[in-house]
Amino acid sequence: MVEVERTLVERVAGLRRPLGIAVCAVFVVYAWLVWQAPVDRVQGIIQKILYVHPPLAYGAYLGFVFAGVGGVGYLRSGREVWDHWALSGAEVGVLFCTLMMVTGPIWAKGTWGHWWSWDPRLTLTLLLWFVYLSYLLLRGFSEGGARTARFASVYAIAGTLLIPLNYFVIDLFQGRSLHPENLERGSLGAGMGWPFLVGNVAFFLAFVYLLLLRFEVEIGRGRVSRGSDEAVA
Amino acid sequence: MNVLLAVLWKDLVTEWRGRDRAVATLLFSLLVVVIFHFSLDDGGPERIRELAPGLLWIAYVFAAVLGLNRAFSLELENDAMAGLALAPSDRGFVFLGKAAANFLILGVVQALTALVFALVFDQSWWRVAPALAGVVALGSLGICSMGTLLSAVAVRTRFREVMLPLLLLPLLIPVLSGAVQATQDLLVEGTLRFAPLQLLLVADGVYLIASYLLFDYVLDE
Repeated sequence: MVEVERTLVERVAGLRRPLGIAVCAVFVVYAWLVWQAPVDRVQGIIQKILYVHPPLAYGAYLGFVFAGVGGVGYLRSGREVWDHWALSGAEVGVLFCTLMMVTGPIWAKGTWGHWWSWDPRLTLTLLLWFVYLSYLLLRGFSEGGARTARFASVYAIAGTLLIPLNYFVIDLFQGRSLHPENLERGSLGAGMGWPFLVGNVAFFLAFVYLLLLRFEVEIGRGRVSRGSDEAVA
Repeated sequence: MNVLLAVLWKDLVTEWRGRDRAVATLLFSLLVVVIFHFSLDDGGPERIRELAPGLLWIAYVFAAVLGLNRAFSLELENDAMAGLALAPSDRGFVFLGKAAANFLILGVVQALTALVFALVFDQSWWRVAPALAGVVALGSLGICSMGTLLSAVAVRTRFREVMLPLLLLPLLIPVLSGAVQATQDLLVEGTLRFAPLQLLLVADGVYLIASYLLFDYVLDE
């Protein structure tokens, strides 16, 4: 078991280090592209949040799906490693979602004129943020071990069910949304496509990097707690 | 199936003998109705009719959370939870029995709350009462299925009274959106649209099936 974990950590660390260099390089190119991108005639400089806000949203949803998939994997196999992936996905997802909830109101104030709107998509993202914060609280307030992992897996799966259900809710409140429908090809202005695309790649790589880092920490934590249990015994 | 009926019967008999959960949740939801009186401007029955769907569902959800918190705390005494886990059947049937008992107890509280709400705020809902009962039942089905599952989780955490609403309320939004919208259609327009009912049915179906399947992992010795 310890050998398998050690090999896994070595593999993850081996992947993460070059990825870290790639993330830095892509972020430099991304910053330059955003700097060079034209300023929107209507919204002004605030529109540049476009290059940050949607990529953060994709990362948040990816993290939440990770938590759900990790939960299913844990309940099916009982292997701790799935739970580590689920926890890592949830934490990184909450981080991305928090940043999205910070950048969104700044953009909203600049374009819609107010910090917050009870727009269905915005409200439902806020709820997802609550779900995964509660997921982290549930882990904190449980006694630890296999039971916590099981409870967290169950809740992560229930939380993931909320994502498709939310689309039904958005349909129900159709017409009241301030958010645009999905971006279509050519809907961005000239010179805005590349920074947007590279932004997505940069944040995706950052997501993977943080996920691997968090996973390594969780494996290490498990090893330390098992070591201290053995020492007590 | 026998396990389902046995658990349902046990919970209903326990409730009938003690009557603590139903009485406490009913008193609580009536108090919420009284607080509405003090927090709303006196706009007359017309204004109240527009606000009633939201107000009713606020009272229902708070009452449901209060009742669900008690659903499994009784089982902690004398390690009765282990007895439930050892029931000679699929644990999903234990879940269905528990959820059915919660649904029935909540149903009584909801009916009495609606009656008192209509009386004190001068609302005439007799014409739409059967349809309203159907909508409330659909909403409660979603609340009780996910609520029963998460109640079994929350009861074994620290701060269990706080944990259940934190876990449950964000997940109830699809159910509550559909229920409030359908109630509004009924009380204000006097008709029912398909869209909110469809949302309620889908959310209920998804939550019921998911909770039935996941309960096996929540109940342990």
